[in-house]
Amino acid sequence: MGGRREAAGEGYMKFFWRIVDLIVGGIFVYAGVVKVLDPVQFANDIDNYKTLPWFVSVRLAVYLPWLEIFCGLALIFRFLYRGGLSILTVLIAVFIGVTIAAKMRGLDITCGCFGHASKNWNFSTHLVLDLLILLAAVVLFSRVRRTETS
Amino acid sequence: MKLRAVREGLLLVVLACLPAIGEGIYFRDKISWQSSIPASELVTVDRARAWGDGAIWVDARPDEEFARDHVPGAFSLNEDHWNELLPQFLPNWSPEKKVVVYCSAESCNAARDVAKRLRDEAQLKNVFVLQGGWEEWLKKSR
Repeated sequence: MGGRREAAGEGYMKFFWRIVDLIVGGIFVYAGVVKVLDPVQFANDIDNYKTLPWFVSVRLAVYLPWLEIFCGLALIFRFLYRGGLSILTVLIAVFIGVTIAAKMRGLDITCGCFGHASKNWNFSTHLVLDLLILLAAVVLFSRVRRTETS
Repeated sequence: MKLRAVREGLLLVVLACLPAIGEGIYFRDKISWQSSIPASELVTVDRARAWGDGAIWVDARPDEEFARDHVPGAFSLNEDHWNELLPQFLPNWSPEKKVVVYCSAESCNAARDVAKRLRDEAQLKNVFVLQGGWEEWLKKSR
């Protein structure tokens, strides 16, 4: 009886984490597609951080959205899952870092992460959303490690 | 776990290159690869000066910098006070005039952003960004 309840609980948790996979993966696929459609705008958004020269920003603007899409799909379909999750965790951590650094340097930046949908979001909204995604990615990561070691 | 994650990550990095290369080829003529402003939208100080009364100068720098000094006859139009300044600027514009937007120096983005908004939101044509900005104007005025 107790074993059956335990198995049901485990099933629910598995279902819950699958939903988290889909949400995080979906967010990155959406963010990637929006940027693929307008690479010039994304290049301008990267350029606004004033950390990279334009010729690097513009090449990143063409490449990064595809990386986001592929990694997001990896989470959704659980194919190359660990690689996708690792890259997305690094990407979001780097992004949070440069956003905070830009704010500290007094730059009025629009990240352009979600196209026009995020254009009018303020700094705190961006940061909270990014931290939530980072938290979800880190928890998913630790879950993979735990299931592998057990 | 670590090795597998690295292997999978590298595979994704390589896979993402393929459509990115395709996109780069597709947009090769639509993207300015060397400068954030396409060459056709840039104007030198000498050329803009040669336009004489045919040019309207727009100062995209913050209010206090505009107040300190600016190109003679220039209008202040920055993104901080866009909604207040745009209606003051528009009556001075006419279709045959060329708009020259400038900010502090080569490295600033304000002129590019204001020029883009003038084209996209105000639907103005013949909007140019001054190469080298205010810094270059000063150099050429000495």
